[in-house]
Amino acid sequence: MLDTRIAQSVIDHAVALGSDFAEVFVERNEVSSIATLSDQVQDLSSGIDFGIGLRLVYGSKVLYGYTNRTEEDELRRIVTELAAKDRRDPATSAGAFDFRAFDDAHSATRTLSGEPTLREKVDYLFAANRAARAAGNQISQTRGACAQRQQAVEIFNSDGLHTHDTRHYIRATLQAVAASGNEQATGSQTDGGLLGWEIVETLDPEVCGTEAARQALVNLAAKPCPSGRMPVVIGNGFGGVIFHEACGHLLETTSVAKQASVFHDRLGETIASSAVSAVDDGTLTHEWGSINIDDEGMRTERTQLIENGRLVNFLADRLGAEKTGHRRTGSGRRQSYRFAPASRMRNTFIEPGEDSLDDMIGSIDHGIYAARMGGGSVQPGTGEFNFAVTEGYVIDDGKIGHPVKAATLISTGPDVLRRISMVGSDFALATGMCGSVSGMVPTTVGQATLKVDDILVGGNA
Amino acid sequence: MADPLIEAHAHHVLDQVTGAGAAGDLIVQQDASLSLKAHDGDLEEHKVNSTRVYGVRVIKDCRAGIAYSEAADAAALDSMVAQALQNAAFAREDDKEAIADGNGSLATDDATLCRQDDVTVETKIAAALAMERELAARDKVQNVPYNGVQDVTAERYVFTTAGHTAHSKARLCNAYAYALLKDGDKDVLDGVERTARRFDELDTSEIVEETYARCIALLDGEAVPSRHYDVLFDVECQAALFGAFASVFSGKAARDGISPLRERIGEKIGVDSLDIRDAPRRTEGFGYTLFDGEGIATASTTLVAGGRLATLAHNSATAGRFGVANTGHAARSPKTPLGVALHQPEIGPGEILESDLTSGEYLEIVDLAGLHSGTNAVSGDFSLGAAGFLCADGERLRPVRNITVAGNFLDMLTKIVGIGNVQHWNAGRSALMARIRFGDMPISG
Repeated sequence: MLDTRIAQSVIDHAVALGSDFAEVFVERNEVSSIATLSDQVQDLSSGIDFGIGLRLVYGSKVLYGYTNRTEEDELRRIVTELAAKDRRDPATSAGAFDFRAFDDAHSATRTLSGEPTLREKVDYLFAANRAARAAGNQISQTRGACAQRQQAVEIFNSDGLHTHDTRHYIRATLQAVAASGNEQATGSQTDGGLLGWEIVETLDPEVCGTEAARQALVNLAAKPCPSGRMPVVIGNGFGGVIFHEACGHLLETTSVAKQASVFHDRLGETIASSAVSAVDDGTLTHEWGSINIDDEGMRTERTQLIENGRLVNFLADRLGAEKTGHRRTGSGRRQSYRFAPASRMRNTFIEPGEDSLDDMIGSIDHGIYAARMGGGSVQPGTGEFNFAVTEGYVIDDGKIGHPVKAATLISTGPDVLRRISMVGSDFALATGMCGSVSGMVPTTVGQATLKVDDILVGGNA
Repeated sequence: MADPLIEAHAHHVLDQVTGAGAAGDLIVQQDASLSLKAHDGDLEEHKVNSTRVYGVRVIKDCRAGIAYSEAADAAALDSMVAQALQNAAFAREDDKEAIADGNGSLATDDATLCRQDDVTVETKIAAALAMERELAARDKVQNVPYNGVQDVTAERYVFTTAGHTAHSKARLCNAYAYALLKDGDKDVLDGVERTARRFDELDTSEIVEETYARCIALLDGEAVPSRHYDVLFDVECQAALFGAFASVFSGKAARDGISPLRERIGEKIGVDSLDIRDAPRRTEGFGYTLFDGEGIATASTTLVAGGRLATLAHNSATAGRFGVANTGHAARSPKTPLGVALHQPEIGPGEILESDLTSGEYLEIVDLAGLHSGTNAVSGDFSLGAAGFLCADGERLRPVRNITVAGNFLDMLTKIVGIGNVQHWNAGRSALMARIRFGDMPISG
């Protein structure tokens, strides 16, 4: 996308100004999205983002600029401006580029560059709408969305690296609204992955619509949720957001390097129940959070984070590795050329155990079954996190009871990791978007159903 | 008014649109920013950028489509128009979405919104470093992980095929500091942000003092027993909570059958003393907006008067659908379709002295967590992590942390115990709020 000679000139210029490391990140991002409202197409949009991010590193200081322009003079001007207050005699020289090609483990067939698929996507969302509507007269509305993205990146750096990658993302969602009088409730179903529209071969709009409607109807009938500390069984799939928030963010060197993570000095120590082994794996084929290479041009990998409760690895980008001494893990990610990369999660999950849902429910006298979770957030410095229950039920005398309205679970990472006492075998993954210092990136969360012995439930009873 | 190059691009794009037998409008968003972050006594990040995005909306045969481009060469702009036309061909018919009539022009005043600021980058770097240094020197401060200053100039143009043009340019400076304090096994991470039109109007010493004061005050916080309490949010939290549910006032959400207020115009939805307005023309606010996403001039809109829902917020399409006046609340960026959003919301003053709002026992909430995930604007339900103080008769008795506050936004409006007689801006000066005491809120601890 960028002339190699221009990239070399820009990096040579940065090194001549004394930077320890220089990088040119080129991105062309093509997007197409559809929004439906019941059986009508509501919005259609498409576009192309294009830009170049320039990163200069002086010691531990990052200088970052970006532009939509590709002219050599303009790129060199930005480098000069960035380095104006730090320029010094060069300590090194830039290497000549050595192009490295990486295998594409997530090749796509029905991409945005190929035959138009708008009609098929609309038909899929309309079919999901019909399925939701068929679930009952109380389904008053559905909102569908399908977004496809093709992100091409090209990376050059002063170590001589030149590489590129093209990522194909697809995601489809249906939200159902159930209404009765002035009461309204929602349910949703989302599917996605690192592939093209061929994902439709694995999707069933009937399942999508029925599931979204089922949740909305359950929530419409829900009663106020009890409050206070109690045991909670957290469902599989997106329930994995508990590990993402409670622990994953705290293991990114973005926080560790600043000692703004409660786990920054706990490597090798037991930080979780022995029932917990956790992984961040960027290599899973066609998974939403996967990548071939990270946004610093390093091949991604599978990183074991916790093994039987013991912390064995952090997630490190280039700068994080330099600051902390922990090895790079192919986790340097960014939303776009507008962000400098940072250590970020990819597909993060607690590995399955052998307990059954029945055993978990049966072990609780009074608690909550959080069958489906929404998003959450964490304060890495203290480990305090929150995440939302979007489909919940009371547990009384070892049995699942009536549904309860949305609630929030709050705790701290260290505390909740110690209180995970049972992990099931019904492992599943779910797609999400994660926001942090380098913007919003696609991430997958996952787990089997698990039991937390004691956590604060923020109910509205 | 316009940059000649942007004006030339606009003519090129709109000529393409009209040449295709369509009507349309073009939004051009141009931003320039500086961001500086300090950590460990040195500058950690120095980021500069300037970007421009073009976004076109075409309407042909009552069908709308949009497309955008970050490239501005003729081929890219032509491709953008072609994509928008292709998208429109798939869209539903909507005879209410149209390019607004009129061929006037609107422009903001640089003397008000974009005053000359000669503060050097060196001064800004020094300010970021000083905030970190001064905080790090305080007792119990373990770390100052997030600390920096920003300077953003945002420019927006709207051009329509009807000949209407609008241009705004505004500058905002921002400084923030968050400190991690530890004392034994207790810790807290908190801080504040402040915003101003010019950098020299920011008081970084106040940011240091307020950040430290908040952290010290909350450090020993513990949960309170689970039960219902009266709650008084600070202005920041109150504005954030109302912001999370602002879409209930959206005409588009009503048109789509999503807003719980869609059939309640004229009905009581809150206590008698509740007035909610949108006041985009208050120049002392940083949410000041001269024109909306369709280039239509904004005006003050009363949404709730005396507890009764007076109107919803509308763009031209939703106003046409409901047969009511357009309130100038079109929301659209170069990359997004036509929507509805409030500009600068306001809760009008009540008749209760602020000192009387704080009688008896109540919880003062100064921090909410999970607003993006723990709120549902369709049902109105919310459940959020919270921190603050247990208070009585205006005095803070003890700090409170690790609690949740839950409820239903619309129910809350009927449980208002009192509304103070003074309005306060939030820190970002984007919302003007009289403080409200809410009764009978479920708290878990």
